[in-house]
Formats: sequence, C-alpha cells, structure tokens
Amino acid sequence: MQGPLIDTLARRGVTRRTFLKYCATLASMMALPPSVGRAMAEAMAAAKRPSVIWLPFQECTGCTESITRSHSPTIEGMIFDMVSLDYQETLMAAAGHQAEEARHAAMKENHGKYLLIVDGSIPLGIDGAYSCIGGRSNLDILKEAAEGAAAIVAMGSCASFGGIPKANPNPTGAVSVSDIVKDKPIVNIPGCPPIPVVMTGVLAHYLTFGSLPELDAQGRPKAFFGETIHDRCYRRPFYDQGKFAKTFDDEGARQGWCLFELGCKGPVTHNACATVKWNGGTSWPVESGHGCIGCSEPDFWDGGGFYKALSVPADPLKIGAAAAVAGAAAGVAVSFANRAKKKAAKAAHETTTLDDLEK
Amino acid sequence: MSLDAIPIHLIPPGEPGLTGNAPPLLHELLEMVNRLLASGETAAIDLSALPLTPADLDWLRERLGEGEIAVTLLANGESTLAETGCPGIWWVTHHNEQGVVTSQFLEVAFVPELVKAHPDDVALGRDHLESMMADL
Amino acid sequence: MNELQFLTWVRGPGLDIAVGIFLLGVLWRLIEIYSLGRKKDLAAPRHAAGASGLHTVFRRSLPPQGMLKRSPVSYIGGYIFHIGLAIVVFGFAPHILLIKNLTGLSWPALPSQFVDMVAVVTMAAMVVVLVDRINKPVKRFLSTFEDWFTWAVTFLPVLTGWMAVQHLLLPYTTMLALHILSVEILLVVLPFTKLFHAFTLFGSRWYNGRINARRGVPV
Repeated sequence: MQGPLIDTLARRGVTRRTFLKYCATLASMMALPPSVGRAMAEAMAAAKRPSVIWLPFQECTGCTESITRSHSPTIEGMIFDMVSLDYQETLMAAAGHQAEEARHAAMKENHGKYLLIVDGSIPLGIDGAYSCIGGRSNLDILKEAAEGAAAIVAMGSCASFGGIPKANPNPTGAVSVSDIVKDKPIVNIPGCPPIPVVMTGVLAHYLTFGSLPELDAQGRPKAFFGETIHDRCYRRPFYDQGKFAKTFDDEGARQGWCLFELGCKGPVTHNACATVKWNGGTSWPVESGHGCIGCSEPDFWDGGGFYKALSVPADPLKIGAAAAVAGAAAGVAVSFANRAKKKAAKAAHETTTLDDLEK
Repeated sequence: MSLDAIPIHLIPPGEPGLTGNAPPLLHELLEMVNRLLASGETAAIDLSALPLTPADLDWLRERLGEGEIAVTLLANGESTLAETGCPGIWWVTHHNEQGVVTSQFLEVAFVPELVKAHPDDVALGRDHLESMMADL
Repeated sequence: MNELQFLTWVRGPGLDIAVGIFLLGVLWRLIEIYSLGRKKDLAAPRHAAGASGLHTVFRRSLPPQGMLKRSPVSYIGGYIFHIGLAIVVFGFAPHILLIKNLTGLSWPALPSQFVDMVAVVTMAAMVVVLVDRINKPVKRFLSTFEDWFTWAVTFLPVLTGWMAVQHLLLPYTTMLALHILSVEILLVVLPFTKLFHAFTLFGSRWYNGRINARRGVPV
C-alpha cells in the first residue's frame, strides 16, 4: 500500500471532492483559515505512509478508545490506516514475543524516521517497577524507542503532563514524556481523553508538511489549544451579561446560562471542545450542562475541585480564625503596653516633643 | 401505579437567543464581495469557528435569503452549496454520514471551489471517455 | 511551577496566608487604636447646631468652600477612583462569588462590560491623581515612599484584573494568577499602611466631630 494518499483513498472509493470536503472541515476544526483547507488537501493527497509505533504506559486505554472510536469509520479512520501502525498492544493481533519482535523490526527498519505515539505516564518510583511490559520498565522502553524516533506524540494528559497517576501524592512517581525525552520534537495532545480529530489533525500536518504543527509553551498544537474553552464557548455571552446558573437544575441552568459559578474551568482551559465537540459533533460537556473540568491542563486533578468556581479559594481558609484571635491578642497586648507607657510617662512628668507627634 | 403519578415536569430547554455576533458578519461579507468584484479574489467565513447560536444562524439565513441555485454534493454525507439572495455569496453546509453538520461556511465566489472539477479528475474522465469511444 | 499550579497556589495557600495576615492586622490595629482612650473631659458640653460626630462624617465627604476650585483633581479624581473601585470590587460577578464563598453574603452582579468600562475610568482617574501628585511641588514634597507604594498596590489589582479579562500581554491563566497575587499583596499591606483608612475613616471623623461638638464647634 505505497504511493500517494489520494490514490489509496480513491481505491477505497473516496473521491477528491469528499477529501476536499474533509480537509475543509479539518481546517475549520484546526481554526485555520478556509483557504488552508485546500492547500492541505493538495499536499496531503500526495503524502506517503509513515511508520508509527504506539507505546502504552500507565494509562487506562481511554485515549486509544477515543481515537479508534472516532465518529465515522470513514476518512479519519482511513487516514489513521494510512500510517503503518507497526506496534499497538491493544489493537495488534500479535502478542508476547511476536509483538516485541514486530516493534524491534519496525524500529530497526525505520530508524530515525518513525513517529512514536505514547499514551500514559511513566513511573519512576522503585526503578520503574510500577509498570513493566515484557519484564522491562516503561522508562527503559521509552528511552529505547525515542532514540530512533523522528518525533514523539504524547497522547492524552498522562503522557503530556503526568495526568491522574501524577495527581497528589503521586504514589508511583509518575512523570510525563517530556520530563524524560529532551532531544526529540514532542507534541503534547492532552485531554482526558484527547479529542480524536486533534490526533488526525497532527497526523495530517505531519503527512502534509513532514513536520509537527506549531506548538504553544506547553507543547500543544496551537491550532487546537490556542484558545480557551471560555473564549469559544457559545455560553460566553451569558457570562458577559452576568447570567449564571447557580445550581444544576435551576432556571438559569434550563436557560443555558453560564456555568462559571458551578466550577467551570473554561477560562483557564485550552482545548477545542467548544468548536470541535464530541461524538461526531453531537455535543460537548458545557452543551450538556456541565462545566469544563480542565482536563487538558497540567495537574488539573489538583486544581482545587471541579465544582468550585475559579474565583473562590481552592482550599478552605484554615488560618483565618487563628489569625483573627492572634491579631486580637496582639492588639490587646499592645494596648496594655501603650497604657503602661502612658502611665509611666505621666508619673515621670515627661513632656511631649515635636518628634513624638511626628511618629 | 402509573408513571403519571410521578410528578415529573419536562421543561423544554429554552433556546439561547441572539448574541449580537451575527450582524458584524454582514459587514465582513460586504467587504469580501467588494474584493471579489474588484479583483476576483474569493474568500470564506468559517461559521462553525464563530460563537454563533442557532438563533444567530437563523437570523443570518433570513437576512441573506435564498438564491436561484443550490448544489448538492453526495460525498461522505450530504453537502449543500446554496446561493443566497445575494449572488456571489454561497451558504456551504457539510454534513457527515449521520446527518450532523460538521462545518459551515459562507463562501464569496462566482462558483464555489468544491463545485469545480480538478484537472487530474478531468484527465481521468478524458481517459475514460477515450477508452469508451475506442470500444465503440 | 506551571501557570495552573501558580493559579492554584494563589487561590489556595496564598489566599489563606493573605487573608490570615489581613485579619490579624486589622484586629490588631483596630483594638490598638480604639483602646488608646482619652482623659475624661470634665468641662460642661456646649451645644451648637450642626455640631456632632454624625454631621462631621458626612460633611467631610464634601469639599469645603473654595477647595474644589483650588484642587479639582484631588476631589474629582479621588471621588471617581473610590467609587470606581467600589463598583469593580463589589459589582463584578466573580468577586461577588468570592465574597459569597467567604462570608455567605451575595447580591446581583453588574454586566461585565459595564464593570470593564468602570475599571478603565478608575485606572484613568488613578493615573491622573498620580500625575497631579508628581506635578504639584507641594504634593510631591509631602509624599513619602508609602504614598507611592500604596498607590501601586491599589493600582495593580485593577490593572491586572482588567488585563486578564481583556486577554492582554500574558495568557489569561497567568494574568488571573497575577491579579489574585496582587490582591493578596494589597490585603497584606492594607492593615499596616495608610490604606487602613478604609477602616478608620468614619471612626476618626466621628471622633473629631464629637470632640469639637462638645466645644460647640461644627467641623
């Protein structure tokens, strides 16, 4: 199955217009101007098939579910088919030594050229013993596979930022891919799970231009993570008007008002849910009436609670009462000291000077 | 006990109203149409990338009206490319196979890009025509 | 520390510490000031119309005759930025939510565009007042480090808050964290600087008015 992508697609009955239409939608989702869709279609139509190795570490397979069950088994699935997925534990038929051999063969054959996808975080505690595959620690496998990779895609919040395994108190010593690999281009696709089309978008970009898309400071593709949920939210006008749902079943909630007061983390979360939506464009968390939990941001799990508004304290104020008591005690103590001083001054017939008044 | 005895009242969700984000688009369209007339430059507005409510889209659709021609493309779900009441402005809607709208554009062009046949495809068509004629 | 961890810190431990120091300082200073006491005035009180503590509280809010013309910036600018600060602090929905969370009190919010406009007007007034302080030789002479410092810690929360809402300069998350941090700095320094007038203003006016009323002088 070599040759340009458009030929492979044509053999499967996908016409150029179908592909153009898909690229227009993909460009729209990547918040690229409509003209880029055509350029992308042209470039991608001629692209060749890269080798991909997918390594699962401390993960829940949610990321794999997300991409493999992306809405229609059509072009998205086909573009995913376009890559030569040489190792993916969950999807591959081979098991045991055969699977390991397939990985080694692919790594050797495409050394320096393959794309490495990682989902899950890497535990460093007790020499990585918390998560091993075939008797080798995740750390060991990642280092080996990263060495010959052209680029690495960290799929999901765990691989990107450590995710839930890294949540306080981080019992396994989990870290992200970018904490370990420093000498390869890494693109983070966070989300719990990540949006499937982001994966396709990155693949499309890689196929089209042979490079990773433009990334933000957190290593995320700017096209999808450039703006916050809040800025793209269809409920944003209600925030500006000061109309908020106060509970999940009040009049405001029924009217579809802003969920800020119910703990929505939209203002500080960079992701594309508001425009791309989920389940084939059916809906997304805020549309279904629940605030954003901020799953594509680092350490979202320890962000002070999903149902606490961003403007309220992340933790209950603990020292307030003690501080008030201490302040009152200090005030009383100082006032006694002042009175004693006054009394002493009076007894000694001290006079008031200009300096005293200027104090 | 019948279900009616349970006091559950279904309240249909209220439709979020107009946000005021639609009217500025008309100004943008005017600018694009001027450019099309002056230099033939085509342009498009990506409606799905903008914070528009269904009410906003209805408002826009109502203002722009319906034109004489509409093209239906059956490719990976239906797509409609309908000219609006203002010739040169096309309302392009892409659906997926489940019928869900995947993207919507307002395209300003004499003919929408997607309608035109690609030279490679035309060449394939010519080959087909030639082989068909050779068989006659 | 990434930006979200920074935000979580200022929303959590940072706020805890700031509110703690604020409460400690306020109670300390209020008790210290009000327990100073005063020798009993044995003279018979005189009476004059309009002389009382309450009268002074209100009267001192109005410029004395001729003063508005002599230093309009101090009065008009001062009024605008104090009222503006009150509107921004108590009218913006996220602020009300914080107050509700801390005290249980809540009231309807103002539209965020209006609060946004008020914030701009407030900052403009504060800048004008600052420029006036720099330009007028007498004001400059009377100004100490504390005056410049308290102006800055009052101005920064408005500026960072407005910039966060407007998405200027830094990502919203970082700006929001800086905004909360600047408010925490304000909370910490408020009890120990001249900003404490927020608490002592009406008390001292009433006190002065009361003493002078005993002497039969409306002030």
